[in-house]
Amino acid sequence: MQKKIKSFILQSYTQPKITCMLVMGLLFLSACGNKVTRVSIPVKVQSEIDINTYSNFAVLPFVSEKSSAKLGELPIEIGTEIAALLRSSLARQKHFEVVDKQETARIMTGEVIEEELLSDTERLSELGHYFEVKGIIVGSYRFYTDTQPARYYGERYSARQQRYVMDYQDYMQKRYLLSLRIMIIDVDTEKIIWDEAYQQSTAEAHSIGSFVFSQMAPQEATLRELSKRAAAEFTRDISPHYEQEDRFLMR
Amino acid sequence: MQQKYTRIQLASVFVLLILIGCASHDVTRVEDYNQFAIKAAQAGLWNEAIFRWQQAVSIDPDNAGAHNNLGVGYEALGKIAEAVSAYQRATELDPDSKYYRINYRRCRLHIRRSGVDSEETQPESSEELVEN
Repeated sequence: MQKKIKSFILQSYTQPKITCMLVMGLLFLSACGNKVTRVSIPVKVQSEIDINTYSNFAVLPFVSEKSSAKLGELPIEIGTEIAALLRSSLARQKHFEVVDKQETARIMTGEVIEEELLSDTERLSELGHYFEVKGIIVGSYRFYTDTQPARYYGERYSARQQRYVMDYQDYMQKRYLLSLRIMIIDVDTEKIIWDEAYQQSTAEAHSIGSFVFSQMAPQEATLRELSKRAAAEFTRDISPHYEQEDRFLMR
Repeated sequence: MQQKYTRIQLASVFVLLILIGCASHDVTRVEDYNQFAIKAAQAGLWNEAIFRWQQAVSIDPDNAGAHNNLGVGYEALGKIAEAVSAYQRATELDPDSKYYRINYRRCRLHIRRSGVDSEETQPESSEELVEN
């Protein structure tokens, strides 16, 4: 087989016809390759819920999941703050009306919001009637961190060897993870029409010293940032929006 | 007699050259419009791109590529009905091109997914829709 290939290559040097054919073939292939251009176009994606029916919502404070390892370290108001973030994210959409924070607080006075309430659709529907809305948004959050050693590979200049050498550095990678479960309950039918968990995470690199400090530092800002991202993702899912799709243009 | 034939031959070659020149001039114009339109589309100037592709189609109505590109332009602006007919024309003119079929199929898939059907769906202002 190798001999055949070798003889073919040698022939191609000696016979100009073969060379010409090869060149033509290459030119043809290169011309084919440049014939198409890929472009991204915006395509409208409809909401995943019926926005004509579910146009007004009440957002109840989110509850912390009991299994959450960091439960003791976070203030209870975080659930209220997540609800506020979601409320402002939804209110920015022209399709939705949201019951404001004061009104929600007024109606929810004396009401205990616990994890058990999330499965009590009858009670939630009753609350929805007080709010005079079509859908009631509730949910829970789980915020936790995990840490694992990681290694960064790079190069450093070695004075002894007079050249760059491969080097690595060990560090602690601390990840903050938020799992936000968001549910929409139909007030009229008492059915859950949306139940989705949104995962968000962020990571930090630490040395041993900075890692100890980070364990003691407040984590509300990180949680708020992750909640904002999850709220935006949820809003995007239930609102009409644009996505990018590829199409082919002919040159 | 021979001189007469030579004259006729020369004249016919001359006419032929003029005709070839005219034809190539049209082809070049279509290609120029297409190249310009592609650049405009890549810059997001879809109205300009559509205008150029429309001109290309008016010069060469059997140019499948121009019809396909016009379809992409219409789809980008949310003119789904026009996009569908342009893609359809492109696939009719060149049924073997996989790219035309892909574009057409994706467009129909989008229609089915969003329930737009052939109604006009001009993109709303960015404030009204969630940014991607």
